Amino acid sequence: MTHTQKRVLINKIVMALSVLSTLIGMGFLLWILSILVINGIDAINWNIFIYEGAPPGYEESGLKHALIGQLLLISVSTIIGVPLGILAGTYLSEYGGVKSKLANIIRDISDIMMSAPSIVIGSFVYAVIVAPMGNFSGWAGIAALSIIMVPIILRTTDDMLQLVPSTLREAAFALGAPKYKVILQVVLRGAKTGILTGVLLGVARVSGETAPLLFTSFNDNFLNTDLSEPIASLTVTMFNYATSPYEDWQKLGWAAAFILSMFILTLNILGRVILAPKKKK
Amino acid sequence: MATIINVKEEKALETKNFEFTYAGAPEPSLKNISMPIAKNKVTALIGPSGCGKTTLLRSFNRMHDLYPGNNYGGEILFEGRNILTEKEDMIKLRTQIGMIFQKPTAFPMSIFNNVAYGLRLKGIKNKTELADRVEKALQDAAIWKETKDRLKDDANGMSGGQQQRLCIARAIAVEPEVLLFDEPTSALDPISTQGIERLIIELKEKVSILIVTHNMQQAARVSDYTGFMYLGDLIELGKTEELFVTPAEKLTEEYITGKFG
Amino acid sequence: MNKILDRFFQLSTLSIALFTLLIAGAIFGVLFQEAKPAIDAFGFEFITNSKWAPNLEKFGAWPAIIGSILSTSLAMFLAVPVAIGVAIFLSEIAPEKLKNPVGVSIELLAAIPSVIYGMWGLFYFVPIIRDTFGGLGIGLLTAGIVLAVMILPFMAAVTRDAMNTTPDILKESAYALGGTKWDVIKDIVIPYAKAGIIGAAILALGRAIGETMAVTFVMGNVHKIPSLITDPTTSIPVALANEFAEADEDLYFSSLFYLALILFLMSSAIIAFAKFAFLKRGRKAK
Repeated sequence: MTHTQKRVLINKIVMALSVLSTLIGMGFLLWILSILVINGIDAINWNIFIYEGAPPGYEESGLKHALIGQLLLISVSTIIGVPLGILAGTYLSEYGGVKSKLANIIRDISDIMMSAPSIVIGSFVYAVIVAPMGNFSGWAGIAALSIIMVPIILRTTDDMLQLVPSTLREAAFALGAPKYKVILQVVLRGAKTGILTGVLLGVARVSGETAPLLFTSFNDNFLNTDLSEPIASLTVTMFNYATSPYEDWQKLGWAAAFILSMFILTLNILGRVILAPKKKK
Repeated sequence: MATIINVKEEKALETKNFEFTYAGAPEPSLKNISMPIAKNKVTALIGPSGCGKTTLLRSFNRMHDLYPGNNYGGEILFEGRNILTEKEDMIKLRTQIGMIFQKPTAFPMSIFNNVAYGLRLKGIKNKTELADRVEKALQDAAIWKETKDRLKDDANGMSGGQQQRLCIARAIAVEPEVLLFDEPTSALDPISTQGIERLIIELKEKVSILIVTHNMQQAARVSDYTGFMYLGDLIELGKTEELFVTPAEKLTEEYITGKFG
Repeated sequence: MNKILDRFFQLSTLSIALFTLLIAGAIFGVLFQEAKPAIDAFGFEFITNSKWAPNLEKFGAWPAIIGSILSTSLAMFLAVPVAIGVAIFLSEIAPEKLKNPVGVSIELLAAIPSVIYGMWGLFYFVPIIRDTFGGLGIGLLTAGIVLAVMILPFMAAVTRDAMNTTPDILKESAYALGGTKWDVIKDIVIPYAKAGIIGAAILALGRAIGETMAVTFVMGNVHKIPSLITDPTTSIPVALANEFAEADEDLYFSSLFYLALILFLMSSAIIAFAKFAFLKRGRKAK
């Protein structure tokens, strides 16, 4: 066999291996998706939205408490985390710039925090909020989720603002606008699609977190909207129900998993759709 | 339809009624092109943007095959056969018809390994043979002196003009019959451009050259034959001095005198 | 007036940015402080000690650390080749019509919460391991595989993005010399994208080592170094998740924080290494 013939053969083998690994990868992932959908749809019915949690075996048991709790946790974390993240990102891009030592240190530390194990963040919040307070609480959960969310929003805002062409800023300055107005009225506006996408993705990421809630907001089987008390979340409920030995609880666990996944996927798809027209330009 | 002066020399390449349609395009980008490329001469292709000259160039080494859906029509004859058939061994074809691109494309490896790349693909492993052929190629590309003491250095440390010469060395190391140049100096400064043009004129003793250029003066400086293309048609092909001084077609004259660009 | 507002805005954004630095430092500080009783009691031997016995108030982190390292290594060993294969498929082989749907599916799959991977692992994969190897089906092997499946989409997507940065004209130059697809991938694309690919792998490693929910269901939480790959074992996140609520004594508690501190340092070191060695953002000329 000539050298070239050998090369052609090796090429064919590698191509086949690559297709094979894609099939393996997609296979596993399709497997997971399908059991999620099958079990989830099987378990979904109106009861889920009507009833709160109940001991196993009860007919009238649902996920209302978890859904509302999750919504509370996510929305308050977003209200806290997003403005903080955007403002911090604004500092990095508009005042620090690419060369500032301080800004780069903050970027690097933020990246490290973004990838810190979420359970470690949960332990931190436990020590700082739960222990002194004496009980688990929604606020502790919100603190943990906000700590996870801020670095994500910070980075996307920083990156998106840097994409705004400097000529835009210069034009605003040339008209006599003070810096804070240039930033608020021109730059942030110019990057708003990108920042919005970052927010959507940040919310999606935080919605799926379980570990940091385990010892902060803990859990509750009943509906509770008092944030100074433990509060139910979809993720922790899913964790508890699915690993319990009770069939009806397991079913609820799958329903919760399905609902949460659909929510997260929707946010992700929304983020893409919003960003897509910008890319085409 | 086109006016083609009879090319008396032996032909290195020839297209017969060649047609080309991009994937998904409603109409062909190249229509009915019958064109000879003379052996051991430099043929230049000129014409306004979008006339199809690069599309034609890239058909000779079947670069279009890298992107699915493209369609060839007609024939391209090389060494007595039509290279557009399914049976054609494209790997072998590309070692016989080489290409230099618009921007210098040094591979992320040392200078030596860049030039040796095509040789290694052919299966040449003998260290002495590789060293000899790399040296010869670098000499023929007129950068042996600048590189002989730093063959192990990363090629990306070279200047643009040097890198383009490196790419030429890399292409001629495998001793092709034809070299295709796709606007090779468009990214280079005037001095490097001069050097490359001189090199092209020297190289024609060993290879037949087809060069696409958007710079008419360059075509006039380096080529023996020039072909003028417009909107996918070959309008005229003739001896360079004759085409520039007494073009046969009105369209050619209008382009050369700058009536349109 | 504008000057005052300008100053105010600048200081506000600066202070919030500094606040994030503060939180990072606080995390380290608080973890250290909570872990201090255990650090005082056990010192560095905590790391090498294998005995974890809450009843006897003896705590050694070695099994948890080894469990973290082994499960992560197994996951990387399985996921990296498959991820590269998928990336090659998406970047060089797939026809245009497939590139987008498959690529987007993989990115969406990376967004699925890890707890769901854990549920799939527990209900669907554990029985398979049980049937094939006997035993409980819960252990290092299962955890490694579930972790691998979890980090696969992320790594495939980032690797594919790195490969796609290779300029077409560079690839065409290699094809023009008679290269095959594999020649071009191995000689041009992979060297060109090398930094990005390795960086992606290390980031995935960082994620895997801190992963809790995907493996908590399937690891077993047994503080013993596994002798067989199918033995149940534990990892630092798994130990934390399972035992935090049970820890009643101060020393137990403090030891758990000591574990959390070790995990935080390990994960930060890994990410920092990836960033500074491979993912030089902005400092590299594009």
